[in-house]
Order: sequence, then structure tokens, then C-alpha cells
Amino acid sequence: MAATVLPVPFERSPGYWANVWRRFRREKLAVFAGCVLLAILLMAIFAPYIAPKDPTFGTMLRRLRPIGTPGFPLGSDELGRDMLSRLIYGARLSLFMGVVPVFIAFFIGSVIGIAAGYIGGAFNMVVMRIIDVFFAFPSVLLAIALSGAMGAGITNGLISLTVVFIPPIARIAESVTTGVRKLDYVEAARASGASAFTVVRTQVLGNVIGPIFVYATSLISVSMILASGLSFLGLGVRPPEPEWGLMLNTLRTAIYVQPWVAALPGLFIFITSIAFNLLSDGLRTALDVKD
Amino acid sequence: MRSPEPILSIQGLKKHFKLPTKGFFGREKPVVRAVDGITFDVIPGETLGIVGESGCGKSTTARLIIDLIHRDAGAILFEGKAMGEALSPKEYRRHVQMVFQDSFASLNPRMIVRDIIAFGPMVHGMPQKEAEELAYSLLTKVGLDPARFAGRYPHELSGGQRQRVNIARALAFRPKVLILDEAVSALDKSVEAQVLNLLTDLKAEFNLTYLFISHDLNVVRYISDRVMVMYLGECVEIGPVDEVYAHPRHPYTRALLSAMPSMDPDKRTMEPPLAGDPPNPINPPPGCRFHTRCRFAEDVCGTVSPVPTVRGSMHFAACHIGTPGSGHSRAGETT
Amino acid sequence: MSVSPIVSVRDLTVTFKGPPDVHAVNGVSFDLAPGEVLGILGESGSGKSVTLKTLLRLLPEKRTTIGGTISVAGQDVVALQGRALADYRGRVASMVFQDPALALDPVFTVGQQISEAVIRHEGVSKAEARKRALEMLERVRIPSPARRLDAYPHEMSGGMRQRAMIALALACRPKLLLADEPTTALDATVQIQILLLLRELQRDFGMSVIFVTHDIGAAVEVSDRLAVMYAGKFVETGGVRDILRDPRHPYTRGLLAANLHGAEKGTRLEAIPGAPPALHEAPTSCSFAPRCRHAEERCHHALPPVVPLGEARNVRCILAEAARQDA
Repeated sequence: MAATVLPVPFERSPGYWANVWRRFRREKLAVFAGCVLLAILLMAIFAPYIAPKDPTFGTMLRRLRPIGTPGFPLGSDELGRDMLSRLIYGARLSLFMGVVPVFIAFFIGSVIGIAAGYIGGAFNMVVMRIIDVFFAFPSVLLAIALSGAMGAGITNGLISLTVVFIPPIARIAESVTTGVRKLDYVEAARASGASAFTVVRTQVLGNVIGPIFVYATSLISVSMILASGLSFLGLGVRPPEPEWGLMLNTLRTAIYVQPWVAALPGLFIFITSIAFNLLSDGLRTALDVKD
Repeated sequence: MRSPEPILSIQGLKKHFKLPTKGFFGREKPVVRAVDGITFDVIPGETLGIVGESGCGKSTTARLIIDLIHRDAGAILFEGKAMGEALSPKEYRRHVQMVFQDSFASLNPRMIVRDIIAFGPMVHGMPQKEAEELAYSLLTKVGLDPARFAGRYPHELSGGQRQRVNIARALAFRPKVLILDEAVSALDKSVEAQVLNLLTDLKAEFNLTYLFISHDLNVVRYISDRVMVMYLGECVEIGPVDEVYAHPRHPYTRALLSAMPSMDPDKRTMEPPLAGDPPNPINPPPGCRFHTRCRFAEDVCGTVSPVPTVRGSMHFAACHIGTPGSGHSRAGETT
Repeated sequence: MSVSPIVSVRDLTVTFKGPPDVHAVNGVSFDLAPGEVLGILGESGSGKSVTLKTLLRLLPEKRTTIGGTISVAGQDVVALQGRALADYRGRVASMVFQDPALALDPVFTVGQQISEAVIRHEGVSKAEARKRALEMLERVRIPSPARRLDAYPHEMSGGMRQRAMIALALACRPKLLLADEPTTALDATVQIQILLLLRELQRDFGMSVIFVTHDIGAAVEVSDRLAVMYAGKFVETGGVRDILRDPRHPYTRGLLAANLHGAEKGTRLEAIPGAPPALHEAPTSCSFAPRCRHAEERCHHALPPVVPLGEARNVRCILAEAARQDA
């Protein structure tokens, strides 16, 4: 018998993520949502080039103009600032406040959840009961309480939102990991003598990260709405920074004067969060590889 | 005749699982005595079959031997060295490997076949390139063309092919003992025969010792040199397979063997050898665990646990019948 | 044969719409006499379970295309709809499964379930139905049946649940019992009890049984006749003795050898190489040819002939043809 069989230019199957991508492309609605989000992202990045006016410059002479006013295609706000420019610039902070807390929580929550799920036993018990304490409060209330305690500001808003999202992500990570841990291939890897860290890195991670990620993306819309809510209550972003939630707050007094203009930030929040949810649904379907 | 030095020596292995429920205020929690003190040796180069029905503890025994679940009591000696003492678990696992029953669940769905096989050696410090070459050569050995299969994911393979990959993965450690836990049971009969042939070839080529766990008595007879029969966490009989099949000494072994379909329409089984289901291993009966279903049971069987006695070369059975002075009316009879 | 058959199946085909399409059953024909037991033997994906489920019309309507004819006790099963189909199931033909959980509802007691079936099909009083339920539990030898009448399925052990399911299936005295691997998941000592029970009940009730299994041993214990199924076709049919003593189809031979009953230790097993086909298209040649040692050129190009060898014995193979010409 020959010692080795070499070289082997073997046929390689398309990888898991290639399959996921192939499935995702079949989800028309999710792809469309992805395009919408991409457009909003581009709008946020290139805001200085796209926005016709300075978002913070207003004139009291042109307050609350209706949509379609020459020079103010989407009207102007209560301080006479150009709504179009403010909405374009507002995408920056709103997206930031939607994505970043979830992103950070995704990492921290995954680590906590995977550790609890893999180690199990008493450690799992303690960690998960602590997590449960956070579940006792509605997430809105928790975010408000934390922000209120730490004071207004972008950083504090960010921290409080991150804290709000860690428990649900950790819980999902824990349950997925607990399921995977009992499977024979993890047992086989343990039986190889590999350290727990190696087993988690090579065998567990790839199989749990997908579901956790899908869940996290579904939280982005919640995060955006909560961030807007915090700003609306005066706890998140402070004026005169353009941010959709804050704009909704300051324009609420104008709801009877210019209802369409006042509703615009809300429309943007709505569209963006719906898009994130549709994207998340599409990812869920695409990641659910069974055959 | 002095038997050769065992390659694997299992001494008083015990595992009790506590059930989480119904343990109020000092009332004792129910305990599943999954494996309750079994002792046996595995001789180098042999195939030891382990048979028994569900709940008899044969799969738990496999997982205990490979240390996937930790034993409550007992010792596992590999070539005379105690695992966990003279021999580190990591080192031990290079020598003793396992093939699981569920060929799908035992392969990581996110890894290609080559990486699945190369994983073990790399854990033990083999450079990646070398481990991959080893994977190719092992694929050839288990009858899968590396050019076609090395880059495949498990879900693209058939059950038989996946089980071949499982075997290759276990062999990548160059083990001396391979535990096959119902490794062919989930396969179709025609594919099962292929894998059994493969196991026979590999055993010769790599000088392996097999622990072959199965519920299929035909397969065990074909592949094993010796067989151990388990009932409710205990070993009731162990001996050379032909001797045990031809002259079973324990009433349970006899029942199990006569429960095999006859394969002859003119000699169909007329009477079921046992009534009812195997009892639950939670709080098993005292004395001989089989006495509740045994037609020869007497008072002594319900109180005293039988001690294994020898007849012939290395043929042990734990039954009061056949044990002189046991108190059974037929004690000492050769059955 | 003078007795008219209770089951008559002609050119049955079953296709599942894909993607990809699966041609699960590809032209199955057989008759079953009253009181006869037919064992259908095959591996996973051979179409044996699909054939059985088609006889009770249990397959999802939307995805399934059924071709050919099925007649059970004079009824055209393929055409049955609504009320007539409900009356047919349980009354004319009924089924036992590998997993009792498929047949027993976890939220009702065993007694309630059997009584309900009897009331629905026979319109008897509640007390009458309960009496029948008790009688059935006695028939299937469930210990202390009066107490078990009020037990929920989860309160019973595996073998007992299997018995309860058989009691439910036979409560309305069907003429035909369809058994889908009823003993596969059971332990050896329980399996033989259930096999013997089925044999006894079949004799007492005089019903016909179709027993589907992959376990030759189990099939031999209960069957009068065997049909070996491969890739959606019966490749060999005949009396159980004939097939066991003189298997003619190479696949049957391979299966018998793979059972390892009496296999010589240390000898190599005559394993069938390869794996069964995926059946995404209806076969146009012998499906077994790619795995067959005796395959000739023509096996790969045309469907093999059905060679009749004596009464109710057919082999779908050119080898049998040659043997017949020699004789």
C-alpha cells in the first residue's frame, strides 16, 4: 500500500456560506430590503455630498414650510432647517444607534451564552438566572432607567442599549449551544482529547453563530426604535444633532400645523426598521440549511 | 490456560444518574443505575461483542470507557496503566477511539470530510499538511475516493459513506482499541454488510481490537470472538461467542437468543421466551435483577446477588443455578 | 385461485412532486387473498412504506400523484373521497405504525380512543363501545386491562403502547391490516411477543395482513408470501418458503446473505456494492443493474422481464428467464 495518496486536487463542494448566499438571493423581499438598507447606508455615508443644505442651519423666517416648497423639497422644521438635509444627516446617527449596540451585544451576549451553554451545570444555572433578572423588566423601561441614571448623551444611550440587548442574545446563544453540545460530533471532538476552547472554536461556533446572528439582526429595528424613543424623551441624542427620533420629538408640537412634515422622521424610522426585519427574516430562511 | 495480558481492563465500572425531579425534602431522588459495577477484560486483537436490550447500559458503558461521561466508581486500565492516573485522558484517547451510531449527528455539518478526519491528529500536534495527507490516505483505506469525497460536506453523503468517514476519523488517531457503538445498526442491510467487511479488513491491517456494541445478535455472532450480555446495568454472562450462543448459561441469555426470529417458516417461534418489557433501570429489583422475569426464580434470587462463576475457558455467568452452594434448588447444575 | 382477492393492486405508481420529483413506486401489482399475510421486504427508500400508505390514502394529496388501480374489498381506493374515505379507514383497512405516537393521541386515554373509533364506525352506545375496548385490550394481552382502559399512552411502556395501538387498529374488525414496521423500534424480547401476537390475532380474526419491514427475520415469522421491493418495484414475489430456500433475484440473495443468519465467521460477506438509486426519474432499465454482479448489457437498456416461476411466484430478472429456459 502506498504511504500517501498525493497530490489530491479534490472536488470541493460549495461552502456553507455559499449555499446560504444562494438561498438568500431567492428571498426576493429580503433582497429588496437589503437594497433599501444599502441605499440608506450610502445616504448616511455620503450625507455631506447629497444634502442640499446645512442640517443645523435654520432661519426663523422659513419655519414649518410644507412639503414641496421651493428650496425645501421636504419642507422645513420648527426652526426653519431643511428637512431633507436633516433626514439625510439623521440617517447617520439613527443607523449608528440601531446597529452598534446590537453589534456589541452580539459579541458579549454570544460569549456569555456559548460559555454558559457549553460549560453547563452550576455555571449555566448562575449565569442564566442573572440573565433572567434582566428579563423581569420590559426592554423599553430598562433602557430608559439606565439612560436616566447615567444621563443623556450618545455614549450613555449606546451603553444602556447594549446592556438591554445582551440578555436576550445570551439566552438565544445559550439555548442553541446547549442543543449543539449534546450532538455526537461535539462528543467525538471531545473524545479526540481536544481542549474545551478548541472544541468550541472549531465545532460549536460555526454551528451556533448563524442562528444567533439572525436573532441579533432582528434586534436592530428594536434598537433603532428604542434609540429614537430615548432621543424622543430627551435621553439619547441632544439637539441640535439631527437624529430621526429626536426630530420626531421636536416636531411633535407642529403636528397640527404641518402633519406631513412632522410625520417624515417617523416614516424613515418605520421604513428602516421594517427593512431590517425583512432582511432578518430572509437570513433566517437562508441559514436554515437542513438537506 | 493463562489468558494474555488484557489491552483494556474495566474494573467495577459504575455510573448512576440522578433524576432531577421528585426529590422533595430529604426524600431520596430516584437514581438510574445505568451501569452498576461491571468488570471485564479486553484481550489484544479480539472483537468483544456487547449485547443487551435498551436500558441495559451498553451505550453508557461505551461512553464511560471513552470517558465522555465520568464514572462514579471503578477503574479503566489501558495496557496495565490506569486512565487518569498513570495515563492522561488525552494520551488515553489516542489509543481508544469510538464510532458513533448516528452517522449524521456525529459529523460536523460545517466541515468538509478532509477537515473532519484531520481534526483529531491536529489536536495531538500533527502539522496541518501532514494531517490532511493522512486524511486522504485514510479515505482511500475506507473505500472512499479522496478526489471525490475529501471536499464534500456530510449531508452530501449517503449513510454508508458517512459511517465510513466516521471510521476514518477514529482511525486517524492510530488507535489500538475501537469502540463501535451500534455503528452499523442504522444502515440498510446491504450497506451494513459492506461496512462489516470493511471493519474486518481494517482490523487486520491496523491490528485493532474491537468493542462491538449492538442489539443485533446475528451481527454480533458474525463479528465477535467473545460476547458479553448485559441486563439492567450488569454483566450477566460473558464468554466465547460460539459457546455462549450454543450453550447459554444465564436464563436471560437463553431468552434473548430464543427471541431471535428463526428464519425458517417451518420452525417458527411458538412461545415468546419472556413476557413484558425490560424493567426500568430506575430502582432495579434487589438480588438477581432478572428474577422478576425468570422462570427459574426462587427465594434466594430475590435477595442475594449472584456471583459470576466460570465454566469452560473464560465463560462466566452470574446465575444461582450453576453456582454450587448458592441456595437455589438447582444450584451447581450444569445448565 | 377460486377465492376472489380482498386486495387487488394493478400497476400502482406513486410520484411525489419535487423539486426534485421522486418516483417512489413504479408499477406494483399484486393480489391478496382473504386471510393471507403478505410481507413486503425492502430497504429504506424502496417504496415499501409508500405502497402501504397509499393503500390507506395517507399520503399528502397535493404533492402526490397516484397512478394505477387499487381495489380493497371491492372499493376503488384511489377514487375514495371525504366521508367514504373516513369510513374505509379503520373499518375496511387500518394500520399499525412503527411509532405508536403516530396513532395514539396523547391527550385521551386508551379506552376513550378505542371507544370513539367503535362509536364512529358502528354507531353503538357508549357502554357498548367501552365493553369492546376492554375486550380488545384483553385480546392484545395487556395486563390488568380494566385499569389500563383509563391510562394515557405515556403511562404505558413501549411494548404496551404497541399493543394498545394494535387494539385500536383492530377494534372495528377491519378486513385488512396494514403493518408498517410495527416491531422495528422494539427490543428483541418484546419484538417476538408482538410478532406472535399479530400472528395470533390474524388467525383469530381471519383478516388479511400486509406486513412491511426491512427485517427478514420478522417477515418470515408472520408472512405466508413475500414480496421483495427495490426502487419502487417488486423484484421478486413468492411463497415465503420458496423465496427463503431458492431466492432467484440477485438482490434477494444479497439481502438474505446480509441478514448474517448462519453466516460463517471469518468469511467475507457477499455484500451488495453501492447504494440504491435516488429515483428522480421513473426507471427505464433494471434499477438494480448498477449494483448487480450478473448485469449484462441489456440490463442497462431495458426493463427486465417479469418471469413467472410457478404459482404466485414472479421474478423480475433476466437470470430467472435463463433458468426457465434451461428447465
